[in-house]
Amino acid sequence: MGKDAVLRVEDLHKSYGKLKVLKGVSFEIRRGETKVIAGPSGVGKSTLLRCINLLTKPDKGRIWLEDVEITKPGININKIRQRIGFVFQEFNLFHHLKVIDNVMIGLTKVKKLPKDEAFRRAKEALLAVYITEDLWYKYPAQLSGGQKQRVAIARALAMDPVIILYDEPTSALDPQLVGEVLQVMKELAKKGVTSLVVTHEIGFALEVADELMFMYDGKIIERGPPKEVVFNPRHEITKKFFEKVGRLYGERR
Amino acid sequence: MPIVSPEFVNYVPYILKGALWTFSLTFGGLGLGFLIGVPIAVGQAYGGKIVKTLLDVYVWFFRGVPLIVLLFLFYWGVFPLVFGVKLSALLTSIIVLGLRSGAYQSQIFRGAIESIEEGQMLAARAIGMTKAQAIIHIILPQALRIAIPGWTNEYAILLKDSAICFTLGVLETLNRTRYVVIATGEALIPYIFAGIMFIIYTYGGTKLFNIIYEKVQIPGLIKSGGM
Repeated sequence: MGKDAVLRVEDLHKSYGKLKVLKGVSFEIRRGETKVIAGPSGVGKSTLLRCINLLTKPDKGRIWLEDVEITKPGININKIRQRIGFVFQEFNLFHHLKVIDNVMIGLTKVKKLPKDEAFRRAKEALLAVYITEDLWYKYPAQLSGGQKQRVAIARALAMDPVIILYDEPTSALDPQLVGEVLQVMKELAKKGVTSLVVTHEIGFALEVADELMFMYDGKIIERGPPKEVVFNPRHEITKKFFEKVGRLYGERR
Repeated sequence: MPIVSPEFVNYVPYILKGALWTFSLTFGGLGLGFLIGVPIAVGQAYGGKIVKTLLDVYVWFFRGVPLIVLLFLFYWGVFPLVFGVKLSALLTSIIVLGLRSGAYQSQIFRGAIESIEEGQMLAARAIGMTKAQAIIHIILPQALRIAIPGWTNEYAILLKDSAICFTLGVLETLNRTRYVVIATGEALIPYIFAGIMFIIYTYGGTKLFNIIYEKVQIPGLIKSGGM
């Protein structure tokens, strides 16, 4: 295992009944790196992310977070999850909590921090995603999609995770709101927040990703520097995919 | 012969005092039912097979047996013979109403819990909450709010069911009305009066719960909660 590897995934398999979703996925991410996973729908990208923080239990394969193998039996998964940020496509903010409480609840109830310390950290995280004080006491339903997703990123960030996993974070957003979320993600990536991002946003991959992994049929079939994978792919499938999403997303940065 | 004996007016305070018993039965049953119903709902929504089956049997029993049978069974059977205690008619009635209402309330809360999208639980687990923490801090605060209209309905039903407790001799509104009918020898006006009292209690309580519902509402919750 590489010395600074924050996350290492080895030969991950997952099936739902007869349907094999993951057929042996391996990769690692070092501290401060941002990696992007792309690929058509239904090839196992979301399943892969959910396996990494064990929201879904993999059938086979091993995962290390820093130097701890988290797939070992008997590991306290709740402790592990505190250190893995997860950003969902559908935001999944807690409906009954105000913005500030959405970010604080993990700190007070899970990390058991005192209220003032939790508040200070939540404030910091919210400001890092440009959610200003006028929004802190609103409920999720009173925010735009872009604001919701940024609060969700702040919720993950406030827990001080070793890595943040993003599961198609802009796919549920209106087109005009995608930019603000991507901007925040780019800034965090550039600040050295280790990130693993499932997305179709090629612009994001080209600008900040250290590696682009293309998934197809439960495997990573191609990987490398984003420019290479996007503009000079080895596989026909990869080429077709990026031509297609290029047409859809190309004009947007 | 006049329908209203002037005597009846003198008994009005006596019947009105029955409200104390009627509300003790109703709110006692509602409260106990809440304490029973919420854990059952959580068990049915998140429990294992064995837990679910046991809870199903409980719900099935208390929803299947008529209230009056339950009252007799517990007052003369279960409490004295099984547990060896002689409970007052009022206490027995409250417990029976609560046990039964718990079965009904569990279905209200279960429906509310199940209407909350899966992402709420996932997000809670993703920040490291245990399942229990997620249920307590994320699921229930939303589910209980969503459940208030159904719960209001349960209040209205329980209030009227409480009248059946007259069979054990509890001095609630109906029982007092019966005594007045016997004392005055006329039935029409006292029963109409009792009926009107129940309507008022139902309306008043429902109104109160509606106010609470509005007070604890959160923007977007019901819509996203799927109701």
